[in-house]
Amino acid sequence: MALRRRTLLAGGLAAGAGLTSGCAGKPLDSLLTQAAHVPRTPATLVWWVSEIPSRNGPVVADLIIRAFERRHPHLRVRKSNALSTTDGNRAAVTTQLAGASPTPDVYLGDTTWPAQFGANSLALPVQTLLPKDYWSDYPAALRRVSEYRGAVYALPFFTDNSFLYYRKDLLAKHGLPVPRTWEELLRTARRIQRAGDAAYGFLWQASVSESLTCNVTEFLADAQAPVLDDAGRVALSGPGAERAFALMREFTETGVTPRTVTTYAEADSQDAFTGGRGVFLRNWSYAWGNAADRSVSKVAGRVGVVPRPGFDGDGPRGVSCAGGWSNFVNPNSQHLGAAVAFARFCAGEEAQMILLKHAGVIPALDDVLTRPEARRVGDPTLTRAKELRLVARPVQTPYYPQVSKALYTQANAVTGGRATPAQAVRAARADIRTALEGRAL
Amino acid sequence: MNRRTPAPGIRRYLNAVNLGGLAIVVLSTLPLYWMIASSFKGPGEISAAPPSLVPESATLGNYAEAFVRNGIGRYLLNSVLVASVSTIAVLGLSFFAGYALARTPLRGRGAIMTTLLMLSVFPPIALVVPLFLLERQLGLLNSYAGLIVPYVALNLPFAIWIMRNYLVGIPRELEEAATVDGAGPLRTVLTVIAPPARPGLFTAGIFTFTATWAEFLLALTFNSEDGHRTVPVGIALFTSQYTVPYGTLFAGAVAATVPIGVLVMIFRRSIVSGMTSGAVKG
Amino acid sequence: MNAVTSSATVPRSPAPPPAGPRTRPVPRGGGPARVSRRKRARTGWFFASPALLTIAAVTVFPVLFSVVLSFADVRLEYGGFRLLSLTGDHYAAVLSSPEWRHALLFTFGFTAVTVLLELVLGTAAALVLERLGAARGWVLAVLLLPWALINVVAAQLWGYLFNGTYGGLTWLFEQILGHQPDILGQPASAMGAMVVVDVWKTTPFVAIVVLAGLMLIPGDVYEAAEIDGAGAWTTFWKVTLPQLRPIMAIAVLFRILQAFGIFDLPFVLTQGGPGTATESLAILGYKTLFQNLDIGRGAAVATTSAVIVIGCCLLFLRVFRTQADEGGRA
Repeated sequence: MALRRRTLLAGGLAAGAGLTSGCAGKPLDSLLTQAAHVPRTPATLVWWVSEIPSRNGPVVADLIIRAFERRHPHLRVRKSNALSTTDGNRAAVTTQLAGASPTPDVYLGDTTWPAQFGANSLALPVQTLLPKDYWSDYPAALRRVSEYRGAVYALPFFTDNSFLYYRKDLLAKHGLPVPRTWEELLRTARRIQRAGDAAYGFLWQASVSESLTCNVTEFLADAQAPVLDDAGRVALSGPGAERAFALMREFTETGVTPRTVTTYAEADSQDAFTGGRGVFLRNWSYAWGNAADRSVSKVAGRVGVVPRPGFDGDGPRGVSCAGGWSNFVNPNSQHLGAAVAFARFCAGEEAQMILLKHAGVIPALDDVLTRPEARRVGDPTLTRAKELRLVARPVQTPYYPQVSKALYTQANAVTGGRATPAQAVRAARADIRTALEGRAL
Repeated sequence: MNRRTPAPGIRRYLNAVNLGGLAIVVLSTLPLYWMIASSFKGPGEISAAPPSLVPESATLGNYAEAFVRNGIGRYLLNSVLVASVSTIAVLGLSFFAGYALARTPLRGRGAIMTTLLMLSVFPPIALVVPLFLLERQLGLLNSYAGLIVPYVALNLPFAIWIMRNYLVGIPRELEEAATVDGAGPLRTVLTVIAPPARPGLFTAGIFTFTATWAEFLLALTFNSEDGHRTVPVGIALFTSQYTVPYGTLFAGAVAATVPIGVLVMIFRRSIVSGMTSGAVKG
Repeated sequence: MNAVTSSATVPRSPAPPPAGPRTRPVPRGGGPARVSRRKRARTGWFFASPALLTIAAVTVFPVLFSVVLSFADVRLEYGGFRLLSLTGDHYAAVLSSPEWRHALLFTFGFTAVTVLLELVLGTAAALVLERLGAARGWVLAVLLLPWALINVVAAQLWGYLFNGTYGGLTWLFEQILGHQPDILGQPASAMGAMVVVDVWKTTPFVAIVVLAGLMLIPGDVYEAAEIDGAGAWTTFWKVTLPQLRPIMAIAVLFRILQAFGIFDLPFVLTQGGPGTATESLAILGYKTLFQNLDIGRGAAVATTSAVIVIGCCLLFLRVFRTQADEGGRA
């Protein structure tokens, strides 16, 4: 008996010791060699893609896939169910990628992911596979966020901007202009609410998720308060930051925004707005098509869209968080060459024109936005995109999830009335510093 | 108890016990009714405020969407496979181990039983990290074996407890008679002990099946790839274009609950005896 | 298995069995066969090893590996992983993190409150069930339905009921309170909501265990109490409850250990929010692992949780000296 127990223990320790040194992976060079050319043999790719908002019906992803398959007849692409919220999506795809799963071959990811994913070997660095002037066709801001330490991890697909949506009919009824400042918006909303024409004044997203980080980044940019300085250190402090946080609290304190906004993600705010319960809404470009769709929206035909307001004074107006989704290549894919080819196809002209014609998002390829078709589509979020001032979230650090968490936790507390603006700014600053040092959980 | 002549009519039933029973029934079933009713509500009605008690325009659209667009049929198949294989393996292994602990003079039986008790409720989060890395190296992630082996290991402790407590109660004469007839331990166990142990096997089986059917953390971590997801993960990750698709989700949930609900109803006596065996027989 | 059969078979012919220090001679001419104690123990080990080895492979060794990981700097690579230096940084970060302390407090608090409520409500339900006549079978069956529901599904269902805009319970509270309550958006009410769901789902388990205990109490104990003139409440407090103590202890132990590892419910209902209000230790571990991709730190969180659970279990067992130990030595 003793002998058996001892042999068991010895065996276990040996196995354990073998694992403690780790298990070697594949060298990057061999992966890149594979990725450099498209094989002639048939293959099926799996594309992890969430629903691309469709403006007029057809499933956009399917159109793109069919176009690609026409170009490469021996390749097939299969969609894999992905979530539409960025946080849930990241956890789900991260688990697969970190598990060295060969699928998905290509995955659609938020533009905020490259730093974290690149640092953790979850995406293939593709800069050596692209021509030198590749990025001249795409927005400079997009290039910056797709890189980490000089390596490119994300290939462009579409960007997303946020706007202020409003009820044309309610403003007209009260003879009020579209507000250009937050102070004016508060007054307008309260008047309409008091008249009983709407339950809620202003709808936005304040749940503990990336959605709130986008909102906070925008309010901070409105107040001209930076989060990180040029050297990447935390710079969040001062009256500007407190003004931004105070605005968030004012929305819920005055009842212009319902208290339950602290549980709202995009879907909830959109639901409430298209259900006719709100006067103003801050949401991404997709909201335009959704609000105009008579089959799901009770306010179709009565919605207008403008860039977001700014603060009273000479601060910026029309600030929008630089959002969007890009394609990443799974380094464990069995079909690296085909995967890279597909990701590049999505960034190319044919796929970008499909996005322009059918999707409620903004194609990444700059050139496409200036085509006559863009005007014909009649989507103001497309045509007015150039009026916006894009602000980036602090995504250059692989600790971005913790930094984002620091921001949205405090912003949520302020909106819910559990912290004063000054307290929240101080706490956020301390938490961001901890996060940047890699000490945050 | 005081004997009083029962009050006439309905008053006869209006006592604390019956009201208590009624409360139990209502509290248990009302949320379940809500889930079933909601699964028949269309997208407009399901997010309507105030909510409707009975669906105004009942629709089967949610069920269609759950099966066609969200692929819950696939998740159900995966769950059935994983749960069934795990249960069979657990029954086989726990039967022998339970017999060993009940009948053979193993040294350290007490310590083993105590350890098994602790392991039966061990927090799975402690196992996720190392198992994830191990399975990743062995290529077992996103496979059936990658879930079945941990499930078997995690459900064995409780199953062994149940089997042991049950087997202790089987009279020794049965075994001794078989041994006299010249049967070895294996044959003894299979021919003589197994038949009267069937109720215990049912109990261990239904507990294991229910536990593996509902297990979430390991399934979420190991089998996140769409083709291998089990039902709980599938339901937690239901997608739709804009909103949390409660209607479709509840349709999927009803589809996932009906089989297990039926099994639980059929085997409810086994469940009750299983819950009490550890407590009562020690 | 063949080896076992052949060596343990007692030969019919009166040949002496293989020698051993504790063998007793086989009686001639039949009678109950006595196999050596050591052989029977070996049989026992053969029967038990597959199960015990499986359990050990999936629990013991991984937990040890987890301890190693929690002291190392783990780097994910393309298709592999590497352990760089050994470091105590992870534990330093975890133990000094206010978020971890909050998770610990919340998990302990949640466990205490839910177990207490389930004990009280479960006992009440068991008392009702015991006295129900013909209806008992049906009520018991209905009571098992919440228990059988998948945790994730129950969380989604109650998440819908508590939804801020169109939830059924939100509407109900609005009628009572006069304004729309923000149940899942405020920490206190979110915690309360979690307690409600857990109690709804697991009280059946406690109720059934206590019911078994109640049915074991001999009737003459009650008769004696009645003769002494004890009222209903006194009978319950002084007679019933002490008899139930050992059974309640086991139920409480099981429930404490289960509640400590709670994951499914907060994951689906609140995602640990609002903020980190309902972040249990398991949720914190999962987020550290799969949102921050920090394997070493996730292992540290998980290992500390496991140590605490094992510690509580041993403490509980020592304090109550339950039937578990005594039954094991039978």
